[in-house]
Amino acid sequence: MRHLITANVNGRERELSVKSNQTLLEVLRDDLRLKGTREGCSVGVCGSCTVLVDGKPVSSCLMLASNAEGKEVLTIEGLARDGNLDPVQQAFLDHQAFQCGFCTPGMIMAVKGLLNENPKPDEAEVRDYLSGNICRCGTYVEVMAAVEELTGKT
Amino acid sequence: MRNFDLLEPKTVAEACRMLGAGDEVRPVSGGTALLILVKQGLLRPHTLVNLKKLEGANAITREGAGAVRIEAMATIHEVETSPVVREHLPVLAAACHQVANIRIRHLATIGGNLAHGDHQSDPPGVLVALGAEVELSGAGGVRTLKLADFLLGTYETALEPGEMVTAVTVPPVEGRLVGDYLKFTTGSSEERPCAGITALVRLEGERAAEARLAVGAVASRPLLLCQADPSETDLEVMADRAAEEIDPIPDLRGSADYKRHLVRVLGRRALAAAWKEAVT
Repeated sequence: MRHLITANVNGRERELSVKSNQTLLEVLRDDLRLKGTREGCSVGVCGSCTVLVDGKPVSSCLMLASNAEGKEVLTIEGLARDGNLDPVQQAFLDHQAFQCGFCTPGMIMAVKGLLNENPKPDEAEVRDYLSGNICRCGTYVEVMAAVEELTGKT
Repeated sequence: MRNFDLLEPKTVAEACRMLGAGDEVRPVSGGTALLILVKQGLLRPHTLVNLKKLEGANAITREGAGAVRIEAMATIHEVETSPVVREHLPVLAAACHQVANIRIRHLATIGGNLAHGDHQSDPPGVLVALGAEVELSGAGGVRTLKLADFLLGTYETALEPGEMVTAVTVPPVEGRLVGDYLKFTTGSSEERPCAGITALVRLEGERAAEARLAVGAVASRPLLLCQADPSETDLEVMADRAAEEIDPIPDLRGSADYKRHLVRVLGRRALAAAWKEAVT
């Protein structure tokens, strides 16, 4: 069964025909060829597939694509504007807040979600918010440094 | 993911009609629990009924008499951040904040959480401690059950075929409740609870009129103990009684003996903290 939905993906209105059993992640990667969003655990634990829906981070691996109807979806590909990186992307680069990079798109989208919700989080709030994004290279210290710069703490 | 059809009702009546069609038709709301079961092949529904598109199904309101009504499709994050919940049921806000991670809290719904009947979860225990009731809608109309009577066991609830949870209501409190939710995990902080302890003291004026201890996530359903006119020494007895009465499910988070020990230690700790808050 297919469902015709409209959604705004990275600033562009899209008409999408999605299957009943398709997740948002599958539509992004397989249909829209937006490969920046990664599939890690596929059960909502690792955070690699984090995208923003109406500004809020969700696990796109567990969201039925049909539920994106009428929503604004933002992925890592939608962050840079006119060739300029988003401040969060730039901070991750400046602090080398990644190693292999697999978790990075999800990590960056989670930080975007955090700053949308709370522009001046303290350290405990940052740790709490990002606790569900796993980096198996262990770059948490650098991620925290990047976020601290963004929140004006360094 | 395994193939299924997705039906998308706009009204509760329509949803209940669809859900009444047989065992292989299951409801889905946030999808954070059910889709995992489908992905793992543990559940093979031929049709899912999408409850996320029901209109106005996520409101959180305080009713005339002081009850707090949460429509079933409110997300865990909406419950956690609702000004009504934060003001009147801070313990529920605190417990919801500790559910999984922020991404899951934005997807998962309170109705889905309760209807799923997974004992390893934070909200059921705290809602039982608050005396919550669930509203069930079906072809035969609407009925209300105490949450404690609705949760029958792991993945087992009192839902009849063709019924869905449409709201959870916390009745008004005589006096005021102080206390907190204490979550204990044996893995990382965002893991499912190994034990979730709710300790509350109900104050009428300055007098401690009642102590409540609810143990979630340890047994197949929450255990609730209440003590009228408690003294400080009653609290330790309550925690010990909870540890004796609970029937822990041993799993990778701990043996039955370990969990029983946790209930005693955490129960005492949580009740002592609630008591301290009550008398200061």
